[in-house]
Amino acid sequence: MSHEPAAATRSVARHSPARGLNPRALLEAIHSVGITHVITVPDTHQRTLLALLADIDDPALITACTEDEAIGIATGLYCGGAKPMLLIQNNGLYACLNTLKALPLDARVPTFMLIGEHGRDVALPSRDNADLSVRMLEPTLELWGISYSRLEQEDDIGNFQRAYRYCQHEGGPVAVLVGAPLGKALPEAQRGSQ
Amino acid sequence: MMRRTEAIAALAQARDGALSVAAMQAIMAWHAAGQAEFDHLDALGCMGSASSIGLGLALARPERKVLVLDGDGCLLMQLGSLVTIAAQAPANFYHVIFENGRYETSGNQALPGFGLFDLRQLALAAGYRAAWSIDEVAELRDALPRILGSPGPTLLRLAIAPDEPVTPWPRVTMKEQIEALRARFGVNDAHGEAP
Repeated sequence: MSHEPAAATRSVARHSPARGLNPRALLEAIHSVGITHVITVPDTHQRTLLALLADIDDPALITACTEDEAIGIATGLYCGGAKPMLLIQNNGLYACLNTLKALPLDARVPTFMLIGEHGRDVALPSRDNADLSVRMLEPTLELWGISYSRLEQEDDIGNFQRAYRYCQHEGGPVAVLVGAPLGKALPEAQRGSQ
Repeated sequence: MMRRTEAIAALAQARDGALSVAAMQAIMAWHAAGQAEFDHLDALGCMGSASSIGLGLALARPERKVLVLDGDGCLLMQLGSLVTIAAQAPANFYHVIFENGRYETSGNQALPGFGLFDLRQLALAAGYRAAWSIDEVAELRDALPRILGSPGPTLLRLAIAPDEPVTPWPRVTMKEQIEALRARFGVNDAHGEAP
């Protein structure tokens, strides 16, 4: 499915502004697929999810100094039988292309990445943004043959599990792009009103 | 100062079932010493990542010691990894640095700042539990049981004589090594279902 998730996203032609999902829904999705470790170089869009992860032991939250390290750590964890994922931002992806080439791509290590679109104007589709770090994200992923899907409306949450399963089944890197800052971590009872 | 092959022989003798990850010029020497057939990964095409891969292995397999065979140029490429490793504090993590002051693989160019930096002190300042600096192979042989018998994370800096680069790379791919390692752990069936 080289770019099936992306094609599906573009076909919808989302001109409605990207919205921030409830981070608790994302945490539930992380738990639902059995993630054991979240390796992060922190991302502004996902700060409320990071705050939730920092308060729990499962999955373990590992903060790395660089995205190169994060990919290496995820590779070692995978080799040892753990189920890691990365939580980074667009600029971090650009920072680690060589390691991305060597481990997820060449060695086909299943590497599931939540990538925040830092700097995005949420009123515009990603590719129409003036900011290069936003506008070049999808083309960069496509250039390297990395499948991706999006989280920017509440009903996109299922993309997380689908992309994760695809990543584990096919091997290699798969990205899920977080198009807007995640919302506040509302208590369970208030989630419907967000 | 010792030759890399001498140091590799001493490390092979002391390995005692540790998992291993090798980088750059240590790769073929480790293979030649018969240490790469199983429980081993070559960090190919990702200079600087061996220690991070080793950290992930150490966290996933706390019951096994992990021996990372790294280069000084490799470590400098991802120097922050010292801090990340120290923060996780894996007691089963042993980080060997072959220090020769050269980018040997690309033709023995000099490292920046060689003679100024001190990798042992950097590791201690980053928060490693222990760090050693050894210049002679006899001293290495004597010290290894104590080093590997004490909890990590530990950095072991070895003074290595510059040498000519070994150009061939292993025929086995990293993908094959990863599959073999996961099979040893019995986790190769962990692939997900088709979406």
